[in-house]
Amino acid sequence: MDIFEAIKNRRSIRHYKPDPVDDKTVEKVLEAAHWAPSWGNQQCWRFIVVRDPKSKSDIADTLNKVMVDNELVENASAGAIRHAPVLIVICAEKSQAGRSADGALCNEKGEYWYMFDIALAVQNLTLAAHALGLGTVIVGGFNATKVEKILGVTGDCTVVTMTPLGIPATRGQVSPRKKLSEVIFMEKF
Amino acid sequence: MDLFEAVKNRRSIRRYKPDPVDDKKIEAILEAGRWAPSWGNSQCWRFIVVRDTKLRAQIADTLKKIKLPDKELPNPAAGAMNTVPVVIVVCARIGKAGAGHGAPGSKPEYVTDKGDWFMFDTALAVQNMVLAAHAQGLGTVIIGAFDAARVEKILDVPEGYRAVTLFPLGVPEHEGKAPPRKELSEIVFKDKFVK
Repeated sequence: MDIFEAIKNRRSIRHYKPDPVDDKTVEKVLEAAHWAPSWGNQQCWRFIVVRDPKSKSDIADTLNKVMVDNELVENASAGAIRHAPVLIVICAEKSQAGRSADGALCNEKGEYWYMFDIALAVQNLTLAAHALGLGTVIVGGFNATKVEKILGVTGDCTVVTMTPLGIPATRGQVSPRKKLSEVIFMEKF
Repeated sequence: MDLFEAVKNRRSIRRYKPDPVDDKKIEAILEAGRWAPSWGNSQCWRFIVVRDTKLRAQIADTLKKIKLPDKELPNPAAGAMNTVPVVIVVCARIGKAGAGHGAPGSKPEYVTDKGDWFMFDTALAVQNMVLAAHAQGLGTVIIGAFDAARVEKILDVPEGYRAVTLFPLGVPEHEGKAPPRKELSEIVFKDKFVK
């Protein structure tokens, strides 16, 4: 698929068919993620491919509820995590990005530069999935500590984000974008 | 260009030709950035297109030097900033990504242990942009080690916004090398994280 087509037509998908996705396809998607650039080529990303229905359901339970008409209801992405055949959980080794060779923080953002590098990889991942006919939705609103416990993530590693991976059951909506003039400036802000 | 080709063959480019870059190509790159997903569709990214020679030189000067035991070397990307016709500075609005919907004007309430997700969301846009540049025959190198406070001053970035990253945009003078990647088995786990 053409790169610009992929960029413009990728949508966040919150409803999936239960159809299986094979290991080879998952690998293609992860390989694309792995080709992202990273701070000092540290490649701080780690991917957990979760197929176990019990783990997926336990993880779905950690998602933040959303307020609709003054009532807390389940996040639509929680259902997506239960229904899609695969959940990719993306973790980061925290103390690699944003540092110079001696391990010292490079600037005031160094401590959380891993968030930046993870997202570079995640965007490759969502584009690759879309090009293969698969849907994704980047989920950030969940209890990371609980997910770390469920998946045995320890040490310097933290769970940053996750996405279900599967065949879309819906086309997904276009979220309206701000006007170019609101986000682009010439020479100065 | 095919997506997988772009993903696999994009390289960080540190030497450029001084050739001009077509406005249409720059627009396509910014447009690609804008199509990235974001937290609650908050689109915290802001892009500054810097062509002015003096401004580019001032920004290049804020890049972190490479410290050797006996001397300091200029950052290899600093020269690139002065050669290319365009530098894109990516800023972020603070307090939007990662936050719940509070009352208008109220302090942001971040809903995860990661706080503000501005680093994450700007990077989603940046990855779209570096791919879009590569697909049009242009090189980029994502720069993070610079003095953001100074760049914010140089470019009049207002309060509530931060300069996150920047990249030169130009015609590559060399092909760029693929730095080795870890084996997939080192970074991919099945069902559980096992060290």
